[in-house]
Amino acid sequence: MQKKVRTILFVGIAVFLLIQMYQPARNKDNGQLSTLHFSKMYKVPDSLNIIITNSCYDCHSNNTRYPWYAYIQPARLIMEWHIKKGKKELNFSEFGNYSKRRQDSKLEGIIKQVKSGEMPLFSYTILHRNSKLTQQQKRKVLNWIDSISKNNE
Amino acid sequence: MKNVFLYAIATSVFIACNSRGDADNESSTKPESASISKAGSDTANSTSAITSSDFSITEIMSDYLKLKNALTNDNAKSASEAGNALVAGFTKLETNSLSTDQKKKFTEISEDAKEHAEHIAANAGNIQHQREHFATLSKDVNDLISTFGTEQKLYQDFCPMYNDGKGAIWISETKEIKNPYYGSKMLTCGAVKKEF
Repeated sequence: MQKKVRTILFVGIAVFLLIQMYQPARNKDNGQLSTLHFSKMYKVPDSLNIIITNSCYDCHSNNTRYPWYAYIQPARLIMEWHIKKGKKELNFSEFGNYSKRRQDSKLEGIIKQVKSGEMPLFSYTILHRNSKLTQQQKRKVLNWIDSISKNNE
Repeated sequence: MKNVFLYAIATSVFIACNSRGDADNESSTKPESASISKAGSDTANSTSAITSSDFSITEIMSDYLKLKNALTNDNAKSASEAGNALVAGFTKLETNSLSTDQKKKFTEISEDAKEHAEHIAANAGNIQHQREHFATLSKDVNDLISTFGTEQKLYQDFCPMYNDGKGAIWISETKEIKNPYYGSKMLTCGAVKKEF
Protein backbone atom coordinates (compact mmCIF):
# COMPACT_ATOMS: atom_id res chain seq x y z
CA MET A 1 0.00 0.00 0.00
CA GLN A 2 2.68 2.44 1.01
CA LYS A 3 4.65 1.50 -2.02
CA LYS A 4 1.74 2.23 -4.26
CA VAL A 5 1.30 5.70 -2.82
CA ARG A 6 4.98 6.38 -3.33
CA THR A 7 4.83 5.25 -6.94
CA ILE A 8 1.89 7.52 -7.67
CA LEU A 9 3.62 10.42 -6.00
CA PHE A 10 6.81 9.87 -7.95
CA VAL A 11 5.03 9.54 -11.26
CA GLY A 12 3.05 12.67 -10.47
CA ILE A 13 6.18 14.66 -9.75
CA ALA A 14 7.87 13.25 -12.82
CA VAL A 15 4.98 14.29 -15.08
CA PHE A 16 4.89 17.73 -13.49
CA LEU A 17 8.60 18.21 -14.09
CA LEU A 18 8.29 16.91 -17.58
CA ILE A 19 5.61 19.30 -18.72
CA GLN A 20 7.66 22.23 -17.41
CA MET A 21 9.91 21.65 -20.36
CA TYR A 22 7.19 22.66 -22.74
CA GLN A 23 7.48 26.43 -23.02
CA PRO A 24 6.04 27.68 -26.31
CA ALA A 25 7.05 31.01 -27.85
CA ARG A 26 5.69 33.97 -25.93
CA ASN A 27 3.11 36.36 -27.26
CA LYS A 28 5.33 39.45 -27.10
CA ASP A 29 5.93 42.27 -29.55
CA ASN A 30 8.83 43.79 -27.58
CA GLY A 31 7.43 47.28 -27.83
CA GLN A 32 7.26 47.32 -31.60
CA LEU A 33 3.84 48.48 -32.63
CA SER A 34 2.94 47.83 -36.21
CA THR A 35 1.20 50.54 -38.22
CA LEU A 36 -1.80 48.24 -38.19
CA HIS A 37 -2.13 48.57 -34.45
CA PHE A 38 -5.40 49.97 -33.15
CA SER A 39 -3.63 52.79 -31.33
CA LYS A 40 -1.93 53.89 -34.55
CA MET A 41 -5.21 54.04 -36.39
CA TYR A 42 -7.21 55.95 -33.82
CA LYS A 43 -6.18 58.68 -31.45
CA VAL A 44 -6.72 56.74 -28.26
CA PRO A 45 -6.78 59.12 -25.26
CA ASP A 46 -4.19 58.17 -22.61
CA SER A 47 -6.72 57.39 -19.93
CA LEU A 48 -8.46 55.02 -22.29
CA ASN A 49 -5.28 53.47 -23.49
CA ILE A 50 -4.51 52.49 -19.91
CA ILE A 51 -7.90 50.83 -19.56
CA ILE A 52 -7.71 48.77 -22.73
CA THR A 53 -4.08 47.83 -22.17
CA ASN A 54 -5.03 46.67 -18.73
CA SER A 55 -8.21 44.85 -19.59
CA CYS A 56 -8.03 43.76 -23.23
CA TYR A 57 -4.55 43.52 -24.69
CA ASP A 58 -3.38 40.46 -22.77
CA CYS A 59 -5.58 38.26 -24.94
CA HIS A 60 -6.46 40.54 -27.83
CA SER A 61 -3.08 41.76 -29.05
CA ASN A 62 0.37 40.49 -29.90
CA ASN A 63 1.66 41.59 -26.53
CA THR A 64 0.76 39.76 -23.35
CA ARG A 65 1.94 40.75 -19.89
CA TYR A 66 2.75 37.37 -18.43
CA PRO A 67 2.28 36.94 -14.69
CA TRP A 68 4.80 34.82 -12.72
CA TYR A 69 2.66 31.71 -12.79
CA ALA A 70 2.64 31.85 -16.56
CA TYR A 71 6.02 30.22 -16.40
CA ILE A 72 4.61 27.17 -14.68
CA GLN A 73 2.78 24.48 -16.56
CA PRO A 74 -0.06 23.68 -16.99
CA ALA A 75 -1.05 27.33 -16.35
CA ARG A 76 0.90 28.32 -19.41
CA LEU A 77 -0.96 25.93 -21.68
CA ILE A 78 -4.34 27.22 -20.58
CA MET A 79 -3.17 30.79 -21.04
CA GLU A 80 -1.81 30.18 -24.55
CA TRP A 81 -5.09 28.60 -25.52
CA HIS A 82 -7.00 31.65 -24.30
CA ILE A 83 -4.69 34.05 -26.09
CA LYS A 84 -4.95 32.14 -29.32
CA LYS A 85 -8.70 32.15 -29.15
CA GLY A 86 -8.84 35.80 -28.14
CA LYS A 87 -6.62 36.92 -30.98
CA LYS A 88 -8.65 34.97 -33.47
CA GLU A 89 -11.76 36.90 -32.48
CA LEU A 90 -10.13 40.28 -32.27
CA ASN A 91 -6.52 41.35 -32.55
CA PHE A 92 -5.86 45.00 -31.74
CA SER A 93 -2.28 44.66 -32.97
CA GLU A 94 -3.50 43.88 -36.47
CA PHE A 95 -6.68 45.89 -36.49
CA GLY A 96 -5.69 47.55 -39.77
CA ASN A 97 -5.67 44.20 -41.50
CA TYR A 98 -9.43 43.95 -41.17
CA SER A 99 -11.54 45.36 -43.96
CA LYS A 100 -13.51 48.50 -43.18
CA ARG A 101 -16.62 46.40 -42.85
CA ARG A 102 -15.03 44.05 -40.36
CA GLN A 103 -13.52 46.90 -38.37
CA ASP A 104 -16.99 48.32 -37.95
CA SER A 105 -18.41 45.02 -36.90
CA LYS A 106 -15.52 44.45 -34.45
CA LEU A 107 -16.23 47.83 -32.86
CA GLU A 108 -19.89 46.93 -32.66
CA GLY A 109 -18.89 43.63 -31.06
CA ILE A 110 -16.71 45.38 -28.48
CA ILE A 111 -19.62 47.57 -27.47
CA LYS A 112 -21.91 44.59 -27.02
CA GLN A 113 -19.40 42.47 -25.12
CA VAL A 114 -18.41 45.25 -22.75
CA LYS A 115 -21.97 46.41 -22.21
CA SER A 116 -23.21 42.94 -21.37
CA GLY A 117 -20.22 42.38 -19.10
CA GLU A 118 -19.09 39.29 -20.98
CA MET A 119 -15.71 40.87 -21.57
CA PRO A 120 -13.25 40.92 -19.92
CA LEU A 121 -13.85 37.27 -19.10
CA PHE A 122 -14.69 36.34 -15.56
CA SER A 123 -11.98 33.69 -15.48
CA TYR A 124 -9.51 36.42 -16.38
CA THR A 125 -10.67 39.06 -13.95
CA ILE A 126 -10.60 36.79 -10.93
CA LEU A 127 -6.88 36.40 -11.52
CA HIS A 128 -6.31 39.96 -12.72
CA ARG A 129 -8.25 41.96 -10.19
CA ASN A 130 -7.47 45.38 -11.62
CA SER A 131 -8.56 44.32 -15.09
CA LYS A 132 -12.18 44.26 -14.10
CA LEU A 133 -13.91 47.31 -15.53
CA THR A 134 -15.62 49.60 -13.05
CA GLN A 135 -18.95 51.11 -14.05
CA GLN A 136 -17.18 54.36 -14.77
CA GLN A 137 -14.51 52.72 -16.92
CA LYS A 138 -17.15 50.79 -18.74
CA ARG A 139 -19.03 53.94 -19.61
CA LYS A 140 -15.83 55.59 -20.75
CA VAL A 141 -14.96 52.71 -23.07
CA LEU A 142 -18.48 52.51 -24.45
CA ASN A 143 -18.77 56.23 -25.13
CA TRP A 144 -15.45 56.38 -26.85
CA ILE A 145 -15.91 53.31 -29.04
CA ASP A 146 -19.37 54.60 -29.86
CA SER A 147 -17.93 57.91 -31.01
CA ILE A 148 -15.29 56.39 -33.29
CA SER A 149 -17.72 53.92 -34.71
CA LYS A 150 -20.09 56.81 -35.55
CA ASN A 151 -17.22 58.66 -37.22
CA ASN A 152 -16.63 55.64 -39.40
CA GLU A 153 -20.08 55.75 -40.84
CA MET B 1 10.71 2.51 -9.01
CA LYS B 2 13.99 4.29 -9.44
CA ASN B 3 13.83 3.40 -13.10
CA VAL B 4 10.62 5.29 -13.63
CA PHE B 5 12.15 8.41 -12.20
CA LEU B 6 15.35 8.14 -14.17
CA TYR B 7 13.39 7.57 -17.32
CA ALA B 8 11.29 10.65 -16.68
CA ILE B 9 14.35 12.82 -16.23
CA ALA B 10 16.01 11.41 -19.32
CA THR B 11 12.91 12.07 -21.40
CA SER B 12 12.47 15.57 -20.09
CA VAL B 13 16.04 16.48 -20.93
CA PHE B 14 15.51 15.12 -24.39
CA ILE B 15 12.35 17.15 -24.89
CA ALA B 16 13.98 20.27 -23.51
CA CYS B 17 16.64 20.06 -26.19
CA ASN B 18 14.04 19.84 -28.88
CA SER B 19 11.42 22.33 -27.86
CA ARG B 20 13.41 25.55 -28.10
CA GLY B 21 12.33 26.46 -31.59
CA ASP B 22 11.57 30.14 -31.44
CA ALA B 23 8.64 30.65 -33.69
CA ASP B 24 8.10 34.18 -32.46
CA ASN B 25 4.58 35.41 -33.05
CA GLU B 26 3.77 33.51 -36.19
CA SER B 27 1.15 35.89 -37.43
CA SER B 28 2.25 39.18 -36.01
CA THR B 29 3.26 41.98 -38.30
CA LYS B 30 2.63 42.15 -41.97
CA PRO B 31 3.27 45.82 -42.67
CA GLU B 32 3.26 45.44 -46.44
CA SER B 33 -0.32 44.42 -46.71
CA ALA B 34 -1.26 47.57 -44.86
CA SER B 35 -4.53 48.36 -46.45
CA ILE B 36 -5.67 50.67 -43.72
CA SER B 37 -8.98 50.82 -45.37
CA LYS B 38 -10.39 53.86 -43.70
CA ALA B 39 -11.80 55.23 -46.88
CA GLY B 40 -13.24 52.01 -48.23
CA SER B 41 -16.18 53.16 -50.21
CA ASP B 42 -18.01 49.92 -49.80
CA THR B 43 -21.65 49.10 -49.30
CA ALA B 44 -24.62 49.35 -51.46
CA ASN B 45 -24.39 51.56 -54.46
CA SER B 46 -23.68 49.17 -57.27
CA THR B 47 -26.39 48.91 -59.84
CA SER B 48 -25.02 46.02 -61.83
CA ALA B 49 -26.85 42.92 -60.80
CA ILE B 50 -25.01 39.78 -61.82
CA THR B 51 -26.72 37.34 -64.10
CA SER B 52 -23.87 34.89 -64.45
CA SER B 53 -24.89 31.30 -64.08
CA ASP B 54 -21.88 30.33 -61.95
CA PHE B 55 -22.34 32.82 -59.25
CA SER B 56 -25.60 33.00 -57.37
CA ILE B 57 -26.48 34.03 -53.86
CA THR B 58 -29.72 32.06 -53.99
CA GLU B 59 -28.52 29.35 -51.66
CA ILE B 60 -27.11 31.86 -49.20
CA MET B 61 -30.40 33.71 -49.22
CA SER B 62 -32.34 30.53 -48.60
CA ASP B 63 -30.18 29.69 -45.56
CA TYR B 64 -30.37 33.26 -44.33
CA LEU B 65 -34.15 33.16 -44.51
CA LYS B 66 -34.18 29.86 -42.63
CA LEU B 67 -32.09 31.51 -39.96
CA LYS B 68 -34.39 34.51 -39.86
CA ASN B 69 -37.46 32.29 -39.51
CA ALA B 70 -35.81 30.25 -36.76
CA LEU B 71 -35.16 33.43 -34.77
CA THR B 72 -38.71 34.58 -35.40
CA ASN B 73 -39.88 31.29 -33.89
CA ASP B 74 -37.49 31.67 -30.94
CA ASN B 75 -35.77 28.49 -32.03
CA ALA B 76 -32.09 28.84 -31.18
CA LYS B 77 -31.22 25.33 -32.18
CA SER B 78 -32.46 25.53 -35.72
CA ALA B 79 -30.94 29.02 -35.95
CA SER B 80 -27.63 27.42 -35.11
CA GLU B 81 -28.09 24.82 -37.84
CA ALA B 82 -28.90 27.50 -40.38
CA GLY B 83 -25.80 29.35 -39.21
CA ASN B 84 -23.69 26.32 -40.04
CA ALA B 85 -25.30 26.02 -43.44
CA LEU B 86 -24.54 29.69 -44.12
CA VAL B 87 -20.87 29.24 -43.23
CA ALA B 88 -20.68 26.32 -45.63
CA GLY B 89 -22.55 28.26 -48.32
CA PHE B 90 -20.21 31.25 -48.12
CA THR B 91 -17.17 29.00 -48.13
CA LYS B 92 -18.04 27.01 -51.19
CA LEU B 93 -19.49 29.76 -53.36
CA GLU B 94 -17.56 29.92 -56.62
CA THR B 95 -16.40 33.47 -57.39
CA ASN B 96 -14.34 32.84 -60.51
CA SER B 97 -16.93 34.31 -62.83
CA LEU B 98 -16.82 37.65 -61.03
CA SER B 99 -14.74 40.62 -62.05
CA THR B 100 -11.84 41.57 -59.79
CA ASP B 101 -13.80 44.41 -58.34
CA GLN B 102 -16.84 42.30 -57.61
CA LYS B 103 -14.71 39.56 -56.18
CA LYS B 104 -13.14 42.00 -53.79
CA LYS B 105 -16.53 43.23 -52.73
CA PHE B 106 -17.84 39.75 -52.24
CA THR B 107 -14.82 38.59 -50.22
CA GLU B 108 -15.12 41.57 -47.95
CA ILE B 109 -18.79 40.94 -47.27
CA SER B 110 -18.42 37.21 -46.98
CA GLU B 111 -15.53 37.36 -44.49
CA ASP B 112 -17.62 39.40 -42.15
CA ALA B 113 -20.83 37.48 -42.72
CA LYS B 114 -19.11 34.15 -42.19
CA GLU B 115 -17.81 35.24 -38.84
CA HIS B 116 -21.28 36.22 -37.67
CA ALA B 117 -22.76 32.99 -39.00
CA GLU B 118 -20.10 31.05 -37.09
CA HIS B 119 -21.05 32.77 -33.87
CA ILE B 120 -24.72 32.09 -34.48
CA ALA B 121 -23.89 28.44 -35.10
CA ALA B 122 -21.83 28.22 -31.92
CA ASN B 123 -24.48 29.75 -29.69
CA ALA B 124 -27.35 27.30 -29.88
CA GLY B 125 -27.94 27.98 -26.18
CA ASN B 126 -27.99 31.75 -26.32
CA ILE B 127 -30.57 33.27 -28.61
CA GLN B 128 -29.84 36.84 -27.43
CA HIS B 129 -26.30 36.49 -28.63
CA GLN B 130 -27.45 34.93 -31.88
CA ARG B 131 -29.68 37.93 -32.48
CA GLU B 132 -26.83 40.36 -31.88
CA HIS B 133 -24.84 38.68 -34.60
CA PHE B 134 -27.89 38.41 -36.79
CA ALA B 135 -28.21 42.21 -36.77
CA THR B 136 -24.78 42.69 -38.32
CA LEU B 137 -25.18 39.69 -40.58
CA SER B 138 -28.35 41.24 -41.95
CA LYS B 139 -26.42 44.36 -42.94
CA ASP B 140 -23.97 42.19 -44.82
CA VAL B 141 -26.72 40.22 -46.55
CA ASN B 142 -28.47 43.46 -47.44
CA ASP B 143 -25.31 44.71 -49.16
CA LEU B 144 -24.93 41.37 -50.86
CA ILE B 145 -28.37 41.72 -52.41
CA SER B 146 -27.81 45.34 -53.41
CA THR B 147 -24.55 44.39 -55.09
CA PHE B 148 -25.41 41.08 -56.71
CA GLY B 149 -29.16 41.22 -57.11
CA THR B 150 -31.85 38.71 -56.31
CA GLU B 151 -34.28 36.66 -58.38
CA GLN B 152 -36.62 36.30 -55.46
CA LYS B 153 -38.87 39.11 -54.26
CA LEU B 154 -37.39 40.31 -50.97
CA TYR B 155 -38.13 43.02 -48.43
CA GLN B 156 -35.88 45.00 -46.18
CA ASP B 157 -37.60 45.42 -42.84
CA PHE B 158 -36.64 47.64 -39.95
CA CYS B 159 -37.03 47.23 -36.21
CA PRO B 160 -36.52 50.64 -34.59
CA MET B 161 -36.31 49.28 -31.06
CA TYR B 162 -33.49 46.78 -31.26
CA ASN B 163 -29.96 47.53 -30.02
CA ASP B 164 -31.02 50.12 -27.45
CA GLY B 165 -33.08 52.08 -29.90
CA LYS B 166 -30.39 52.22 -32.56
CA GLY B 167 -32.52 49.93 -34.68
CA ALA B 168 -31.69 47.01 -36.92
CA ILE B 169 -32.73 45.73 -40.31
CA TRP B 170 -33.57 42.26 -41.53
CA ILE B 171 -34.40 40.76 -44.89
CA SER B 172 -37.66 38.93 -45.40
CA GLU B 173 -39.40 37.00 -48.16
CA THR B 174 -42.85 38.09 -47.01
CA LYS B 175 -44.42 41.51 -46.94
CA GLU B 176 -46.00 40.73 -43.62
CA ILE B 177 -43.85 41.78 -40.66
CA LYS B 178 -42.50 38.98 -38.49
CA ASN B 179 -39.82 40.37 -36.24
CA PRO B 180 -36.83 38.04 -35.69
CA TYR B 181 -35.26 40.26 -33.00
CA TYR B 182 -37.90 39.76 -30.37
CA GLY B 183 -39.70 36.68 -31.62
CA SER B 184 -43.07 35.96 -30.09
CA LYS B 185 -42.70 38.87 -27.67
CA MET B 186 -43.15 41.47 -30.37
CA LEU B 187 -43.81 39.60 -33.56
CA THR B 188 -45.48 42.29 -35.62
CA CYS B 189 -43.31 45.21 -34.57
CA GLY B 190 -41.41 46.85 -37.43
CA ALA B 191 -41.91 48.21 -40.92
CA VAL B 192 -40.99 47.49 -44.52
CA LYS B 193 -38.28 49.91 -45.61
CA LYS B 194 -37.41 48.78 -49.08
CA GLU B 195 -38.29 46.20 -51.70
CA PHE B 196 -35.79 44.31 -53.78
